[in-house]
Amino acid sequence: MEQANSHVQSTATSEKKNMAATIGICAGGWLVPGLAHILIGRWIRGVIFAACVLLMFVLGLAMHGKLYDLEFDEPLHVFAFIANIGTGLPYWIAEKLNLGIGTMTWPSYDYGTTYLWVCGLLNYLIVLDAFDIAQGRKP
Amino acid sequence: MILSHFMALLVFALFVSTVFALITKNEPREQFRYGVFVFLSFLAVAFVVGWIMYPLPL
Repeated sequence: MEQANSHVQSTATSEKKNMAATIGICAGGWLVPGLAHILIGRWIRGVIFAACVLLMFVLGLAMHGKLYDLEFDEPLHVFAFIANIGTGLPYWIAEKLNLGIGTMTWPSYDYGTTYLWVCGLLNYLIVLDAFDIAQGRKP
Repeated sequence: MILSHFMALLVFALFVSTVFALITKNEPREQFRYGVFVFLSFLAVAFVVGWIMYPLPL
């Protein structure tokens, strides 16, 4: 019975990775949404996460939302910046392409900005989920 | 691109509930049930808060 239980437990929990590999996986997942789950073999979850985060990001930009930079004269903007950089590489690419300037007079500006914040924050949660799986804390 | 308030809410709720369901639950059946619950909760809360705000002079 005990042997059967331990067998079930070992199949339910994934193999624990060392901390360096876990941090590398999480960094990859932060830069490219969904990549962390793909790297640890949960590719279906990874693809769904990538689709959710990237579609929210694209919709946020399409709705003329604003991407925040680190501005020292506006200290409260740092929270928006932290939320925005959660998206990883897409944030830097959009900044380079001069997207995400934000048109305050556009009717969906507020929605777009909120989409851009939330997709970054969701990616932080996704990376933490990948961390737990890689450390064997979660099946 | 201009989405109506309700469409923006629907799309937002769909994405967020999908991610929440996949993160918090492990079994596909549980994930589906929890995802639907979160999605409907988003809609219900939006309607309730909308109606609460309706008589307020904002």
